[in-house]
Amino acid sequence: MAALNLNRIRRRLKGRVQEVFVQRERRIFIRVAEEDLRETVKTLIRLDGFNHLATITGVDIGPAIELIYHIIYKDAVVSLKVQVPKESPVLPTITDLIPGAVFYEREIQDLLGVKFEGNSSSSLFILPDGWPDGVHPLRKEWTLGRISKKVRRLW
Amino acid sequence: MVQRELMAILEVFFFPGFLFLFSLAFFIEWFDRKLVAKFQNRYGPLYVGPKGILQPIADFLKLLSKEDITPAMADKVPFALIPLLMLTFSMTPLFCIPITGSSALISFEGDLIVVMFIMTLTALLSFLGAWVSTNRFSTIGGVRTGLQMFGYEVPLNIVMIGPAIGAGSLSISGIVEWQSRGVWFIMTQILGFAVFSLCLLAHLQRVPFDIPEAETEIVAGWLVEFSGKKLALIRLAKNFELVLAASLMVSLYLGGPTGTLLPNPLTFLIKLVFCTFILSNLRALFARYRIDQFLAAAWKYLIPLALLQISLVEVSLW
Amino acid sequence: MVKAIDIPFGPQHPALEEPINFTFEVEEERVVDVKIRLGYIHRGIEKLAENRTYHQNVYLVERICGICSFAHTTCYTQAVEELLGVDIPERAKYIRTIFCEMERIQNHYLWLGFTAKAMGFETLFMYTWRDREAMLEVLEMISGKRVNYGMNTIGGVRRDITGKMVERMEERLNYLEERANYYKKVCTKERSILKRTVGVGMLEPSDALNLCAVGPTLRASGIPQDVRADEPYAAYGEIPFRVVTYDGCDVASRILVRIDEIIESVKMIRRALDGMPQGPIRVKVPKNVPKGEAVSLVEAPRGEDLHYLRSDGSDRPARLKVRAPTLANLPSLRKMLKGVNIADIPIVIAGIDPCLACMERVILVDTKSKKGQAWSGEELWRYANEWYRES
Repeated sequence: MAALNLNRIRRRLKGRVQEVFVQRERRIFIRVAEEDLRETVKTLIRLDGFNHLATITGVDIGPAIELIYHIIYKDAVVSLKVQVPKESPVLPTITDLIPGAVFYEREIQDLLGVKFEGNSSSSLFILPDGWPDGVHPLRKEWTLGRISKKVRRLW
Repeated sequence: MVQRELMAILEVFFFPGFLFLFSLAFFIEWFDRKLVAKFQNRYGPLYVGPKGILQPIADFLKLLSKEDITPAMADKVPFALIPLLMLTFSMTPLFCIPITGSSALISFEGDLIVVMFIMTLTALLSFLGAWVSTNRFSTIGGVRTGLQMFGYEVPLNIVMIGPAIGAGSLSISGIVEWQSRGVWFIMTQILGFAVFSLCLLAHLQRVPFDIPEAETEIVAGWLVEFSGKKLALIRLAKNFELVLAASLMVSLYLGGPTGTLLPNPLTFLIKLVFCTFILSNLRALFARYRIDQFLAAAWKYLIPLALLQISLVEVSLW
Repeated sequence: MVKAIDIPFGPQHPALEEPINFTFEVEEERVVDVKIRLGYIHRGIEKLAENRTYHQNVYLVERICGICSFAHTTCYTQAVEELLGVDIPERAKYIRTIFCEMERIQNHYLWLGFTAKAMGFETLFMYTWRDREAMLEVLEMISGKRVNYGMNTIGGVRRDITGKMVERMEERLNYLEERANYYKKVCTKERSILKRTVGVGMLEPSDALNLCAVGPTLRASGIPQDVRADEPYAAYGEIPFRVVTYDGCDVASRILVRIDEIIESVKMIRRALDGMPQGPIRVKVPKNVPKGEAVSLVEAPRGEDLHYLRSDGSDRPARLKVRAPTLANLPSLRKMLKGVNIADIPIVIAGIDPCLACMERVILVDTKSKKGQAWSGEELWRYANEWYRES
């Protein structure tokens, strides 16, 4: 089942994917470049059995931030990976394709500092009011100790 | 001479005057709470006094001792006056209710109209209370109180006239007097009694018609800014309204304090408890209606039924 | 004509058991616009998880939510077990399934009472919470605790279900099933409930899909999506069950979906108890987890729960991402709330079974609010003092 889906994904996405692999039954991971994100999502949501976008995970992997879009199908979970450089973390929004993604993008914006073009706002969303600028708690350089020092000074 | 005046003072202050009415209000609150608790498979008041019978008094005293806050934006004088007025307005009509015999403390031809008028005033007061406290929740609650009044006021007053027409008297004592001859109006005007109970529930703002103070929707509606002593007085006033509602049911439809072999006040009490039972029972049975649903129901069903009842009474007299 | 006014709803409000703030723009009694502000119970669990070992995290994850704690631990342990390549014993799988379903039953009873309270039906609220005790008793008997059972561990479960327990469970299950059937009757027949629920809080199937709704909220819009059926975890592959759907798209359907799920869960537990194999309930697992990543899905009582786990080969996770069902249902909630009556707000909110503690490892605000309308603690304090001055 998963294999069928995989072949179809390969065929549809043509040259765009950097890497596709099946981790186990029902788990497919795809890696694409930043600029191909929207096109890929557009293709993926048109595939048979598309159900919904479960969430977007952001992971700090050192020089870059990796975003993983978990897309649920009837017979598989496709995790679409994109990397953005840490210095200029900007990605196009996908809320026009999947309206339900709006809150997931906001979550990432605050916790990891990735901006989504078309779905951004200057105000804080995830963190309390008065939270210092540029402190994105899920980035690895912000250890628990550093965060609490910064926050304690605030209050 | 002196003895008669002394008796009058005793009547006003002790029985069936203030003291009796206060204890009655607290007792009825306890009874209502305990009963609803039983329906809902709970215990209800338990600790203060035997079976928690003194709990309402304890609650009242507790509220009296609590911090009393007046919002800075509120209209101070009316805000302070409204609880007092509510208490007065809900207690005054009780003096028109015959308790010891077929004649009440205050009784004159037309006191039924006065009671109706004062009942409307209490509803208006809660609207005013909402308005002067300038809170968003209370504003909505106040608007709802007003809307609800448009729904229940008309059928309520129409059916209250039913017994008056039947007895040919506009005084509550006169209606009781007429019924003491043997026929209670509940037997001839059962439809009116049903409409009357429903309208009273709406008047008392109790489930399923607790729309103006719906706790889960608008916190406490028009009551939201009242606290401490003011809240205590309003709650006491609400108890009096409950007593008034039940005793109107007793007087207009169940023959007042007469009609059994027991002493008059005891008969009255038993009937009162029965009527409270009906009101509490209805409270435990339903979910809350929406204001638009209530208004639609009131104009579609309650008013035609009330009019039907009045026409039936007229026809039967003819 | 009343001018449109803003009505704050929360963070403290009798209809909400947890802090969240909705600001409703209201014209007369209709809601025109909704702004959502969350973040009153943000605890930073995802960050904390990166600083704890895999075993410690089981307990941390359990405390994401008090009600669906077992779903979260199941999801988490599944992810760790997948990374470790461990296959847990059959009996442990069955016990997990039984606990998942018991948790669903107690959650749905709790929810039913909560919804009844939201529509002002106190008697139903009292009754359902009384009946919920029956389930909590069983949970306590097996695990020692009423909520946050501490049952799951990496590699299996920590306590076994003995023969004597099974007897008592069956007795309780009969009672719960009987009550659920009764409540179904109440919720389909009682006029005042129908008046408040039918046609209220509509969510069309197409909207539900677009806005990524999950769980009972989605199933009440007629879409049969259920992780238990689509991707059988634990022992769900071996237990036949029906995915409950209703197509009313309103609060009434959401009630019926949940009541039917209670009945279905009772049946599933019976089947699981019958088919439960003998054997060990846990296996020993190594402390360090090999490098890799895993996506784990579980159908929590409120809907699909997703955990994403990435390991860098040490004894602590490199990243643990938790997506609780309520967050997924929030966009749909916003959609449902537009156009409803003020009186229907609580019941529509209750309709998605919000569990804010679950969701609020993160904080959010509506996209439309241009300016920050929330206040800092200090501002709030000052405002409160100015507003409430004793005269």
